[in-house]
Amino acid sequence: MSAAALTTRPPDPALLAWLGQAGEPPTSADEPAWLAELRHDAAARAPDQGMPTQKSEGWRYTGLSALIEQGFKPQQKPISALQSEDLDKALIDGLETYRLVMVNGQFEPRLSQLDGLPTGVHIGGLAELIAQDPDRLAGQLGQIAGAGQHLFTSLNTANFADGLVMLLDEQVQLDRPVELLHLSIGLDEPSVAQPRHLVVLAAGAQAELIERYLSFDQAPYCNNAVVEIRLAERAQLHHYRLQQESPSAYHLSGLYLEQAAASRYRGINIGLGATWSRTDLVTRFLAEQADCGLQGLYLAGDRQLIDYHMDVQHQVPHCSSRENFKGILHGKGRAVFDGRVYVARDAQHTDAAMSNRNLILSPNAEVDTKPQLEIYADDVKCSHGTTVGQLEPEMLFYLRSRGISAPLAQRMLCLGFAGEIIDALGPEPLREQVTEAVGQRLEQSPL
Amino acid sequence: MSAATEYDHLVRSEYEHGFVTEIESDTLPPGLDEQVVAAISKRKGEPDWMTDWRLSAYGKWLNMPTPEWAAVQHAPIDFQDISYYSAPKKKEGPKSLDEVDPVLLETYQKLGIPIEEQMALAGIAVDAVFDSVSVATTFRDKLAEAGVIFCSISEAIKDYPELVRKHLGTVVPPTDNFYAGLNSAVFTDGTFVYVPKHTRCPMELSTYFRINTAKTGQFERTLIIADEGSYVSYLEGCTAPQRDDNQLHAAVVELIALEGAEIKYSTVQNWYPGDANGKGGIYNFVTKRGDCRGARSKISWTQVETGSAITWKYPSCILRGDDSVGEFYSVAVTKGRQQADTGTKMIHLGRNTRSTIVSKGISAQHGQQSYRGLVRIAGKAEGARNHTQCDSLLIGDTCAAHTFPYIEVKNPSAKMEHEATTSKISEDQLFYCRSRGLSEEDAVSMIVNGFCKEVFNELPMEFAVEAQKLLSISLEGAVG
Amino acid sequence: MLSVKGLKAKVGDKDILKGLDLEVGPGEVHAIMGPNGSGKSTFAHVLSGREGYEVTAGSVDFNGQDLLGLEPEERAQLGLFLAFQYPVELPGVNNTYFLKSAVNAIRKARGDDELDAVSFLRLMKERLKVLHLNDSLLKRPVNFGFSGGEKKRNEIFQMAMLEPKLAILDETDSGLDIDALRIVAAGVNALRGPERSMLVVTHYQRLLDYIKPDYVHVLAQGRIIRSGGKELALELEEKGYSWITDGEAA
Repeated sequence: MSAAALTTRPPDPALLAWLGQAGEPPTSADEPAWLAELRHDAAARAPDQGMPTQKSEGWRYTGLSALIEQGFKPQQKPISALQSEDLDKALIDGLETYRLVMVNGQFEPRLSQLDGLPTGVHIGGLAELIAQDPDRLAGQLGQIAGAGQHLFTSLNTANFADGLVMLLDEQVQLDRPVELLHLSIGLDEPSVAQPRHLVVLAAGAQAELIERYLSFDQAPYCNNAVVEIRLAERAQLHHYRLQQESPSAYHLSGLYLEQAAASRYRGINIGLGATWSRTDLVTRFLAEQADCGLQGLYLAGDRQLIDYHMDVQHQVPHCSSRENFKGILHGKGRAVFDGRVYVARDAQHTDAAMSNRNLILSPNAEVDTKPQLEIYADDVKCSHGTTVGQLEPEMLFYLRSRGISAPLAQRMLCLGFAGEIIDALGPEPLREQVTEAVGQRLEQSPL
Repeated sequence: MSAATEYDHLVRSEYEHGFVTEIESDTLPPGLDEQVVAAISKRKGEPDWMTDWRLSAYGKWLNMPTPEWAAVQHAPIDFQDISYYSAPKKKEGPKSLDEVDPVLLETYQKLGIPIEEQMALAGIAVDAVFDSVSVATTFRDKLAEAGVIFCSISEAIKDYPELVRKHLGTVVPPTDNFYAGLNSAVFTDGTFVYVPKHTRCPMELSTYFRINTAKTGQFERTLIIADEGSYVSYLEGCTAPQRDDNQLHAAVVELIALEGAEIKYSTVQNWYPGDANGKGGIYNFVTKRGDCRGARSKISWTQVETGSAITWKYPSCILRGDDSVGEFYSVAVTKGRQQADTGTKMIHLGRNTRSTIVSKGISAQHGQQSYRGLVRIAGKAEGARNHTQCDSLLIGDTCAAHTFPYIEVKNPSAKMEHEATTSKISEDQLFYCRSRGLSEEDAVSMIVNGFCKEVFNELPMEFAVEAQKLLSISLEGAVG
Repeated sequence: MLSVKGLKAKVGDKDILKGLDLEVGPGEVHAIMGPNGSGKSTFAHVLSGREGYEVTAGSVDFNGQDLLGLEPEERAQLGLFLAFQYPVELPGVNNTYFLKSAVNAIRKARGDDELDAVSFLRLMKERLKVLHLNDSLLKRPVNFGFSGGEKKRNEIFQMAMLEPKLAILDETDSGLDIDALRIVAAGVNALRGPERSMLVVTHYQRLLDYIKPDYVHVLAQGRIIRSGGKELALELEEKGYSWITDGEAA
């Protein structure tokens, strides 16, 4: 069955431009051979992967034309107009972190705060490490994502310049969360930044990572980020991802996760911003007893498209996965949820559950959801559930009968609905910030 | 019990309905072109408009791609290697059972469908389709009294051309999909039902399809029209004799329910699934669709699918009328090398439309099964409701079960719930039953029947019994 | 304080209330009794402004205000409180947050300052004590996963917090065992006062053993067909509703 011909076409030249000078190291002439090869392969692969059309399953509900029309160009040189006063606006009160700041995809040591890291921890910029000690990246960088889910991962691999590297030695535990703060400033020429992040936790290491995407103005730009995460035996990562970019931003993000035995991953994805966003979460278990939890909350309002794709692959027995995504659609918002749980023949005793619940509050909003199970093993416990509905009139009436106005009652119920996900964000200041952001959005925009 | 021995023994249990009826056939040589299409039409003595309709469908079909997206795999089908017409050699249809070929009646008896007994006891009018042409139609008088038209579609084309012309292809147009296009060009026979306004059809209507002559594709065409305020229940049951060559079956069923009308369509499908290595067996590529055209109309599909090598069907409802209701209840069993890709589409267009989907899939041995369903709630479908439940039961570690739901909601007052589970029969359940004295096989059968109960409850009584029996037979040898 | 005159209401095409009259003075407790389907719950819902009921005639005056023209929250802000027969579960909505929002919405409407978190908590603790309730309910989502008894107690607790002028208890006894009933009734009694009227809607007399009414009314076929003191309830218990409804029909 080669239906591929129908579902992709050669990539638009506007996108191939994102490849940059693939094979030609963008930052340093000292890139090791393996990295040059990685880039070269990705550049060669990209045209073959082709550009998805709406006939390809993964892009059925997500058109690319708006993105292509913007004609984003790869960013040429680092900019650093930001001062530390500017940064304050982006920080969350009361949130104590080791902070790595990136501006338009480039690490900004000036704005970062990495003092006092315990031994056994390396946190720093990717470009820096490539230049100084690339061996530490060999066998890791690019190996977890591989060819990736689609063209956009290859574009990133061919042309990434910088990003976060976070490496934890065995048994290391961080006393504070690590915060990866992504700031974007509009440039004269609409640009695409393609940061690449690598997180590797050795056996028994534990950490919390906060990944935030924010805009400094309303100019259009695009982020095409790829995150690779590898958790060794018994490692644990709590990962909070907050996308709160401006209404003119385009956001692509691919997360590739690999888990060894008895490791534990908790990812909480909050999608509030950008006019068009697409997130792919791809997880793979390498050995038994690993446990992966993916949660998400998306709020799509005026003319926003928010798309979450998940590919959870159970190749080995005795692992468990949970996906729980909730969405609120208002205005002309549109959301896409496409989750796939794959259970291979050998993956007996898999325990997988996927849930996607949506509140649709406006006659112009739309949600397209596709929770899929693909199961080749018999001794498994797998389920999925999806709902789409509005706020229960019963509940609204109950609140109003207690004296609460209709708009406030709606907000309370929406926040109650969202609360399950928000509560999973570990640090309290983070929970408060998200609760406030969601509350504000609901207050500002007519339901 | 020694699972392996029992398994081997039971796996080899032969297809119960595998035998060939010897009866002379008038068969066109294999191949398909415009002449063949015209010849089919001519042999059936059709009017020109029908011939033109077929030829136009054929022209469009030539430019259509074969569907490749279903999660099933088969060798490419050579459409030139199929004979498109095969009719029992009889010039006139029988007026009564006495006139029916005794070999045919014997066939039904072997199948466990004693036709007279069924007619007498259950009051079912049986329109038996032997290969492609109706040869026996009963209870016509009683139906005629009520004004119900129940005949073969060939007769309907001759006797009720205005009804057929008005409705044929309006629910499933020839351009709908590859197999619907092919069917439109070459369909040989099928059933036509018209229930007049405010009439409750006085009995369950039933047709038993059989595929017989080797290398004969069967292209049934069914059209059921329930006029305003009427009700009809239609039963379709299928079994097929054993064959070595794959046989293509590409039926089209169109249902039209006008204002306040209700159509209940039940299917038990048990065609030859192929041998243990997947050799032979029917390719069942069916397009079934109902159009709830009028307000408060209702279309309900119930299916029990245990046969065929490959099943590819999605009985669907277009809920056009306000307050109309669509239902889909399905049990599908795949074992051996069977593959099934089945499900439904519920297209909500009218206000306060409601749909229910209950799908139960059972996969054993090397069986491959997918539920593929679409629930679309259009912007204007104010107050639409859908509830979907898809459950899969896996027996053995070489089978597979997949769920591919597509849910598209564009209306804020809509309410849509979808639940799916995949599980196996638990050791606890089995042990509990066995500790009460049941054999493992009986226990499995009982648990599986319980798993499917929701769907069996939707079948007419006599059909439900047959379906349960079929399910038990299908699962024999599947437990290991 | 509450004056209902000739109230008629229907659900869909069905007439449920067919000319109901009722006067409730300050501090009075009125019991409305009646067989199933007599319109008791409809009456409670119409008073609280629930959707799905169409008032076709009559008036409801509440302390000089025409109640029927108001939104549910406006009625609550005026001091009307409905204790639901089936309290609604609000997953994810924290009980304390919910109560604070409600209390402050009502205070604001009355022209009082909103309570800050500290004073609100103090008030909450104080009311819990009055009702002999523990605070385990406060941390959970509103009614979510509550037992039947917990839900009813939560309703009474809300009543204590919102300090209504008129509380309508809709079949508060339904689904409660005798111990739970006693606790709930004790709560209600603790909240009785000269400025607080109550309408106790019930099918059975047993609730009235614990909440003693000043007046008892019998509602049948959408109208009040008999009114009396608490002895009427006892008489009903003994003789059944047919004793009155048959007489009415004859």
